[in-house]
Amino acid sequence: MAKEDIRIGVYVCHCGLNIAGSVDCEEVAKFAAKLPNVVLARDYRYTCSDQGQELIKKDIKEFRLNRVVVASCTPRLHEPTFRRVCEEAGLNKYLFEMANIREQCSWVHLNDRKAATEKAKDLVKMAVAKAALLEPAEEIEVPIIRKALVIGGGVAGIQAALDLADTGYKVYLVEKEPSIGGMMARIDKTFPTMDCSICILAPKMSDVGRHPNIELLTNSEVVDVKGYIGNFRVKVLKKPRYVKEDCSACGECSKVCPMIAPNEFDAGLALRHAVYTPFAQAVPFTYIIDMNLCLNKDGIMVCEKCIKACERQAIDFTMKPETIELEVGTIIVATGADVFDPSTLPQYGYGRYLNVITSLEFERLINAGGPSGGRLIRPSDLKIPKRVAFIQCVGSRSSKTGRTYCSNVCCMNTIKDSLLIKEHWPETEIYVFYVDIRAYGKGFEDLYKRAKNEGVKFIRGLPAEIFEDRKTRNLWLIGENTLLKEPYKMSFDLVVLSVGLEPRKDAELIQRLLTLSRTQDGFFMEAHPKLRPVDAATGGIFFAGCAEAPKDIKDSVTQASAAAARAGILMAKGKVTVEAITPILDLEKCKACGLCVKVCPYNAITLNKELKRVEIVEAACGGCGTCAAECPSDALTQNHFTDEQIIAQIDAVTGQDADKKIVAFCCNWCAYAGADFAGVSRMQYPHNVRIIRTMCSGRVAPKFVERAFARGAAAVLVAGCHPGDCHYINANYHTQRRVERLWKKMEQNGLNKERLQLLWVSAAEGERFASKIYEMQRIVESVTPDEIERAKKVFAKAGGA
Amino acid sequence: MPERLWRTPLDAEKAARPKAEIHILKDQCKGCGFCIQYCPKKVLEESDEINARGVHPPRVVDEKKCIICSFCTAVCPDFAIFVKEKQCKDGC
Repeated sequence: MAKEDIRIGVYVCHCGLNIAGSVDCEEVAKFAAKLPNVVLARDYRYTCSDQGQELIKKDIKEFRLNRVVVASCTPRLHEPTFRRVCEEAGLNKYLFEMANIREQCSWVHLNDRKAATEKAKDLVKMAVAKAALLEPAEEIEVPIIRKALVIGGGVAGIQAALDLADTGYKVYLVEKEPSIGGMMARIDKTFPTMDCSICILAPKMSDVGRHPNIELLTNSEVVDVKGYIGNFRVKVLKKPRYVKEDCSACGECSKVCPMIAPNEFDAGLALRHAVYTPFAQAVPFTYIIDMNLCLNKDGIMVCEKCIKACERQAIDFTMKPETIELEVGTIIVATGADVFDPSTLPQYGYGRYLNVITSLEFERLINAGGPSGGRLIRPSDLKIPKRVAFIQCVGSRSSKTGRTYCSNVCCMNTIKDSLLIKEHWPETEIYVFYVDIRAYGKGFEDLYKRAKNEGVKFIRGLPAEIFEDRKTRNLWLIGENTLLKEPYKMSFDLVVLSVGLEPRKDAELIQRLLTLSRTQDGFFMEAHPKLRPVDAATGGIFFAGCAEAPKDIKDSVTQASAAAARAGILMAKGKVTVEAITPILDLEKCKACGLCVKVCPYNAITLNKELKRVEIVEAACGGCGTCAAECPSDALTQNHFTDEQIIAQIDAVTGQDADKKIVAFCCNWCAYAGADFAGVSRMQYPHNVRIIRTMCSGRVAPKFVERAFARGAAAVLVAGCHPGDCHYINANYHTQRRVERLWKKMEQNGLNKERLQLLWVSAAEGERFASKIYEMQRIVESVTPDEIERAKKVFAKAGGA
Repeated sequence: MPERLWRTPLDAEKAARPKAEIHILKDQCKGCGFCIQYCPKKVLEESDEINARGVHPPRVVDEKKCIICSFCTAVCPDFAIFVKEKQCKDGC
């Protein structure tokens, strides 16, 4: 390819007024036409439209274009679109390059048309410089194992498992509790239709239990995940139940068991024995022994009452934990959410006042199968309350409690609960203290109206404090009615705290095992909030239910079916192509030092000691490029992000006014996405930053930074995901190490090390990115020409400029 | 399920365990202390009295805590201790 003429076509997109509103697209196109190797430059209203795509295809044929550059939105949005266009016109898709002049230019410099236009020119120049060096590449195909793993057996996991199993795929459903069912099994009725929750869930649970394609692993946890899309190797720790599958669930063992503890399923309102079944509809319906409670926990057979009571001899204290290895092609994460613990809010007195209960305790109390047989009783005297208060947003929508988001389900849950009380005890006076009532879904508003018609009183303004009457154990609520602007002091028999949802305590473990990312709220982050809402950024992994964000049953089921369909698409195809961004090895230069082997997060590189060289498994490669940055002898580089291409981009930035510019290296997943997010949110920041995209900050070799300084750049920013959030497991720790080494070098040579900045920014932290650029702008302004010259000299040799 | 369980369960009283009746044959005891050591609920302790064999036999600290697992009977080398379920008269 290098032999033939390079013929680049440049398309500057107006995106309606999104870009053209603050960038002079015509002028940018004129500028582009004069760049080396460019044979054609156009500006176009909507390049991504059908007509725009046809235009590119026509031009490729007519003008014999062999490289295409589109300057428009972020490559995270339309790179796949334009790559397909190139392919359809007979051009290898790796000969396409994008310049991001919307999210990272027009939207962040809305009020400075001149500067935005200049920046857009620079960005196009960088893209053209890289495009000239692009090489065609072929993608390798990886087979996909036609089996799926579903983590979590709540309603979302159940639905996803059933959908996949019905499609015909083998499914492993892993649940850490003794039974599937999750939160939905504990709720009395569902809103807005007031269906009995367990009655609609139990049939699905038993379907899971006897489906020939589903292997149910309860009391089990995922402990290790290796591999990549289509080929995951998963280790599952199956904890012993100490009761064999022969168990007929007669319950004789439980009757004789001397040890008792509060039952978790009933929120601690009822007792269970050490040998127990969590609830009547449990699947699998076999008993289990809680070894933390059992008298035989130290390995000495102290008590054998259950063994004697069991006719079928199903009890077996010799069971050991076992680790099962599974091979699956896709994984669905349906790990759910925890409920907020209100005892962290002392003003409500939960944990001190007996008659302050949570909404989950309420569900168990009103449930006919619950500890009180469906009689709503207050815990202090077991009497039916005459005045009940609900307090909303406990643990939600408050910066003080640390949970700032809306938990989505509590408003409707309270309305449903209030109607349940009215149904059984119509005389009960019910007050709901709220901030806003959010009845947004289908049939929700009707239910809200019904509650108001039935006499439930809604008072805006949460109580500031609750006091208990020592004698009656009644509760005084004190606060302000913010609609009437007057204080209230009211007495109630029972107070229900409508608690919010929060991420699982062990979400971090799942995050690490599967290399996922999480939002600031702590819930798992989807690949795209609008268009790929159930995909994880890591290929082959999907989300369902509250693991991704708080949601009600209907939304959880919807998402679960969507996740199953997405996983099904992959498995139906049976193969997936791996992006050609794997390393290229120059065998002649390789000294077999093995440094790349050490930094590879995927163990995709091995050292062959006999042949004195390294070997790369492309299918296992994640494509971070850390190996290429680590190689001391330039033997490794990364396809589509080669040293030459990145250096060409750096040179394009620093060709003019380098002493006023910031060269920023941003990782595709967090930092670049964070910069995009700043654009989407229209956060304005200084225009002198030029972003070079790499897949991971681990790709940023020290020589790139040195090159930028040697060419006179005022400042350099290296930005990646937060440590622990790296899309490539741990590659960004190497980034940190390299930047620290550069800082040391700068200090030793008397340079201001502030000119090199390292930033951890997540895809949701546009604000953080923008404020860093402001901070660096001040550094740029303080850098003297003398300092720039000194840096040029220090790095001249290493940077090779 | 990580919720905090702090309440007394509603059925705590109903779940009353069978009452134990611990019988110690003091003069048969040789004072090995196995029953005291192995009792999972720590119901027994060494007494001050001296029996016919010149050792301190065990005594019951709190009979209510006994769950009638009969492990003491199993470990006693001298068949000196056994537990019976108390037959309830008058709804004990």
